[in-house]
Amino acid sequence: MTATVSHHIIIVALLSAAVQSGTILLFPTIGEIFAERSGILNLGVEGMMIMGAFFGFVVAYETKNPYLGFLAGMLAGGLTALIHALISVTLRGNQVVSGLALTIFGLGFTNFYGQKWINLKLTVTPSQISIPLLSKIPYIGPIFFKQDALVYTSYVFAIVMWFILYKTKVGVHLRAVGQNARASDAMGVNVYATRYWWTFFGGLLAGAGGAYLTIAYAPFWLDGMTAGRGWIALALVIFAMWDPLNAMIGAYLFGGIDALQLQLQAIGVTIPSSLLNMLPYLLTLIVIVVATLIVRVRHISAPKELGIPYNREEK
Amino acid sequence: MIRFEKRESTPASLKIIIPIVSVAIGILIGAIAIMFKGINPLRVYNALIMGAFSSRYTFSETLVAATPLILISAGLIVVFKMNFWNIGAYGQYIMGAIFSSYFAIFWSPNIPKPIMLTVMVIAGMIGGALWALIPAFFKAFWEVNEVISTLLMNYIALFILKYFMYGTWRDPLSHGFPLSKPFPDNAQLPRIMYHTRVNLGLVFGIIAVIIVWFILKKTKFGYEITVIGENPRAARYAGMNVTKNILIAMAISGALAGLAGMVQVSGIIHLLQIKINPDYGYTAIIVAWLAYLDPIVAVFVSLFLGGLASGAYQIQITMQVPFGIVNVIESAILFALIGSEIFMKYKVKFEFGKRKEINKQEETL
Repeated sequence: MTATVSHHIIIVALLSAAVQSGTILLFPTIGEIFAERSGILNLGVEGMMIMGAFFGFVVAYETKNPYLGFLAGMLAGGLTALIHALISVTLRGNQVVSGLALTIFGLGFTNFYGQKWINLKLTVTPSQISIPLLSKIPYIGPIFFKQDALVYTSYVFAIVMWFILYKTKVGVHLRAVGQNARASDAMGVNVYATRYWWTFFGGLLAGAGGAYLTIAYAPFWLDGMTAGRGWIALALVIFAMWDPLNAMIGAYLFGGIDALQLQLQAIGVTIPSSLLNMLPYLLTLIVIVVATLIVRVRHISAPKELGIPYNREEK
Repeated sequence: MIRFEKRESTPASLKIIIPIVSVAIGILIGAIAIMFKGINPLRVYNALIMGAFSSRYTFSETLVAATPLILISAGLIVVFKMNFWNIGAYGQYIMGAIFSSYFAIFWSPNIPKPIMLTVMVIAGMIGGALWALIPAFFKAFWEVNEVISTLLMNYIALFILKYFMYGTWRDPLSHGFPLSKPFPDNAQLPRIMYHTRVNLGLVFGIIAVIIVWFILKKTKFGYEITVIGENPRAARYAGMNVTKNILIAMAISGALAGLAGMVQVSGIIHLLQIKINPDYGYTAIIVAWLAYLDPIVAVFVSLFLGGLASGAYQIQITMQVPFGIVNVIESAILFALIGSEIFMKYKVKFEFGKRKEINKQEETL
């Protein structure tokens, strides 16, 4: 009897941690989905995330207000993304190289300025809020509805963004710009403004993911602590087939793997920790291969003009 | 109004001016970043240049840092020519180091040196090539995005290295540190400059550059990858085998990154450990790009960025300036470089006249 109860507690704790770890990925994945839908490929998610993680932590630490930190992290990610927008939209530069440069920049910048804060811990973190009624549902309640306000924000984001993408005029225009910029322009949609805005938005959300990492999930600062999550988010965009609700499934799946490997290490399983640490990256690789195959079989494609700059004056 | 007007042809001078201006912008942004930290940027840059080029020894350390960059960028140029984005040199370098170290650690120290080193060179190249071929296969047959796959392979390679270093490859005499036993003399690349760490790897680099230059300029394969890069559809119409070319190009790229990993462990560190500087794999991307994918120009860019890196190691110790400043400078150079590509294709026209006309029209309205 006690054995089953403790198993139950462990599983719920594990899945609850999976949601938190998944939240770090969910924000950036949704953001990148929208940037890519507009036709902008931003491979700098890792760089924007680490900027968000850093500024989020510093502001939360200095003001002792985690929510202010979260907003600062978002803004840091968004401003970083504007460099990419300038280069890919206005200057029509190579988006792959620009995205890589963004990652190099973010990691370098935070290493250069971050020394002062290394290993400091936040004293105030977002507190857990139980949602009335919903948190009483067996299993689902304690896993999804005994979380902090930022996790709830991510649920709202996923649903609202899904709605915007498929059910509003803004979404129609956004998708049109990514599929055929010239035709959208002819329809009167401002292609440049659309791409600027959604690239910025992608940065805001990448920053949000990074900030959630350093403010709630692991409330301290370490050099390079996003540890490749930006690249996992990029893979999740394909896994999600550019759909914000699918992104939730992908993010929690990977959050679950992350939480599981930490849990296994904590209880001292005999598998070497380096192999457990490898697991999320290995599975992401497998997932991206499988997802690519599925996307091809089901004739879903990436936005048609993804990564292709638009030039109004050229016929 | 700013207007872009298409150029008939790119003036050759721009290909020199833009990289130089980009480097200047990078240095300027770096200076601003240093100033924000309350340090005098002139002092930092002075120490950095002294640390990279001032004496025979410091210059030799610049050559040591340039060697892996020369090797890796030569290979990257081959794949980048066909618009295949190998971001995985980091992992290919690690696999080259692991494969070649196996022989240094587990084979007899009595094997004649030329045989041992030949085996290690081949092993390193095979290790890097195999690691590169996995994402190449995914791309060639299933169109899996190679940027993400090669990058994920980097993390996997790093954890494989950690697995060995915390496992069976750890030297029992290392007091628990993740280090292999030191390489015996027969597994160490000969040094070619007295009292420095410059070794035969630099010669490998120069040979690699010549071979890559020859491949690109003089072979059918070199011609085909250039066409595939510029116009994949035309390439397919012309009957070029894109799949085969992706695999060959990635094998070359991975082999050279693997060789760089071999040179690092066999020529510089003389043992295998977790810190073998695979970041050269990322810096080499910047080298290739800054050289406009010209393997010979890439040698000089490697010397520049190698000097920047070795100088930065110095100031990190002497002035407590974190190494990240190099990445800030490098990324600013890259942003400036790709941001100015538009000037190679278009002329910028400032049309003040037209604005006045518009203003006049508005006034009359």
